[in-house]
Amino acid sequence: MGILQNVKNAVRQRSIHVAYVDVGSCNGCDIEILACLAPRYDIEQYGIYVHNNPREADILLVIGAYTPGWADRLLPLWEKIPDPKVAIAIGNCPISGCLFARPGTLIHPPVAAHIPISAEVPGCPPRPTEILQAVLALAPEVFRDYEVRVL
Amino acid sequence: MMASSFLWYLVEFIRPSWVRKFFTVRTAPLLTPPYFRGFPEPTGKACTRALRCMMVCPAPGAIDVVKEADGWHPRIHRGHCIRCGLCVEACPNGVLSSGRVLESVTASGTALTLTFRIDVDTVSCMGCGNCAVACPVNRGLDPQMAYGGRASRDDLLLCVVEGKCKVVREDRCNGCKTCEDHCPNGAIRVDRVLQAVQAVSL
Amino acid sequence: MRRIVDVSIPLGPIHPCFKEPARIKCETSGERVLAVEVELGYMKKGIERIMRGRPWQEVMFLAERVCGICSVIHNMVFIEGMEAISGISPAPRAALLRVVANELDRIQSHLLANFSYCYTIEHETLAMYLLDLREQVMDLLERLTGARVTCAYIVPGGVRFDLRDEDAALIRAGLAEVTRASARYTRIFETGPLIGLRSRGVGILTAKAARESHAVGPTARGSGISEDLRLRHPTYQQIGFSPVVRSEGDCFARVMVRFQEVQESIGIIGRCLDALVQGPIRAGGVCGAGKVSYSGEAPRGELSYLITTDEAGRVIDIAIQTPSIMNIEVCAHRMIPGVTSLADVTATFVSADPCIACTER
Repeated sequence: MGILQNVKNAVRQRSIHVAYVDVGSCNGCDIEILACLAPRYDIEQYGIYVHNNPREADILLVIGAYTPGWADRLLPLWEKIPDPKVAIAIGNCPISGCLFARPGTLIHPPVAAHIPISAEVPGCPPRPTEILQAVLALAPEVFRDYEVRVL
Repeated sequence: MMASSFLWYLVEFIRPSWVRKFFTVRTAPLLTPPYFRGFPEPTGKACTRALRCMMVCPAPGAIDVVKEADGWHPRIHRGHCIRCGLCVEACPNGVLSSGRVLESVTASGTALTLTFRIDVDTVSCMGCGNCAVACPVNRGLDPQMAYGGRASRDDLLLCVVEGKCKVVREDRCNGCKTCEDHCPNGAIRVDRVLQAVQAVSL
Repeated sequence: MRRIVDVSIPLGPIHPCFKEPARIKCETSGERVLAVEVELGYMKKGIERIMRGRPWQEVMFLAERVCGICSVIHNMVFIEGMEAISGISPAPRAALLRVVANELDRIQSHLLANFSYCYTIEHETLAMYLLDLREQVMDLLERLTGARVTCAYIVPGGVRFDLRDEDAALIRAGLAEVTRASARYTRIFETGPLIGLRSRGVGILTAKAARESHAVGPTARGSGISEDLRLRHPTYQQIGFSPVVRSEGDCFARVMVRFQEVQESIGIIGRCLDALVQGPIRAGGVCGAGKVSYSGEAPRGELSYLITTDEAGRVIDIAIQTPSIMNIEVCAHRMIPGVTSLADVTATFVSADPCIACTER
């Protein structure tokens, strides 16, 4: 532990790689995440990189209300992400199904029933600032002393 | 040529202003503008339980009016609320506020008027009276009402007359759709008819 | 002799270039792409099924959530369809405010589409410029409607919020800035040599092919088809505008059409704000029974709603035709086959501005 672990903690919270997966949303939350890339919000200044590649991601942003097309795809995708990893539900859809949770719908919310979700950002869609704050607040907590706690 | 361009490169990057910016620059603080419609917040005015907010809300399970020690209060459920601001606009008492919605509605005299109409399909209605018994308005007026929907007074919202459900006082309806949920045949239907209006005194 | 192995390469559903899940299967011979199949089905929520049996105040929000990028036009087409059924005519001031909101939404959608294209061809500088410009437009939209994405601005008979005079001045000032910036970025795009190499002559859709395969929106207008449903809308007729048409038919033309439409939309907003009359913003009116097919020009092309309502104003049947489904098929069958590199597949696909969410609903 000691110094090495402190270095790891410091580095991990300044270098977060993000993938996002859209499991059936209306695109609203999608483009609000894209807007976080804009120079105004500039998430790269906090060391967050949006790769959209699960194999090198630390944080998975889940958007959307879990449509049947994702039934056998979301869990394998989650398993491809190397540890330590967290998933954040962005928007109302993964939390409750938003407006689509009505009789006759095809979706199966919440996404937390299918993969473990660590944090939820409500709003339809949430503002880019809210998404940013959620990622920034969660990252140091989740990755702190990972080896000590888990291994 | 090569050397000069390399020198220029070095000079460019040791400028004090560049170095200072490199280490200190941050984007402007990110503020939520006051005109953004956020989650509805209470204004402090008393709720009279008109339930217009619940009836107009387009999102399932987003708003409830609950009773607390000091009276009725609307509760917004995050994760369900879509921040459309219809509840703010529909509330007759201005209990909720969100962004500039309340201000703008007051300034231009706009309102959402909600009326309810109840349709009973007399073919499939079998006169069981479940709707009349379940109706919360009826229960308030006539707590003694029991199986069959036999009424003790004639100013109820719903009652059973000659084996069919009859809508007596449609104006008492507050649109909760409890009758719809309790009807075994799907014979009763409540429509929430919303109209976006504006007072013409401009 | 070198053997060329034919390989079927899947792209997606999670792919760095795609913002939404779709799978493109490419049949390749070497680098040349011979045939393409687009596989959808990751976003089907059944919105039309949910819409049935609901009054306008619920369907309006569902209609907005058909597509989160161009939500205002869905709101507008649905509500104007309901108005056509019920014989409501909007207040004159509200009709102009609707056009302002719709054009602001079109500007931000076009800027986003061009951002995606520049990001896909890895010109990240221009992409970030465009995304930052889009934020300025989003600010103006938020000032007018109170929300960034799902605005819920248009209601039967009018709009929800009035435009204050100081906000109108801010929108004018903001748009003047957007005009300058977007002219500069258009010039960068037009003259960039590397952008030209990736865009000019790539993914060609001829006017004949576009007409045969029913391309719509900027995709069709980039191929020389002068078709814009805004020409049939009464408020746009009153304001006056001319559709942007280019004849090259490649990725470059499609992106340039969007750039020029941004300028055109800014002009429309300016003329709307000039023509803005004082008066009420809502005319009232109750929705009634009837059936109508109503179309409007979404940022991606023709959007149609077929609505049937009952006497209480409930939607009992609804069918939506969104523009992206046409463009995705045009893309798969006409534009992509024959491109000389796999990297051009994603670029061509993105240049048609596909929106998977509104395709599948």
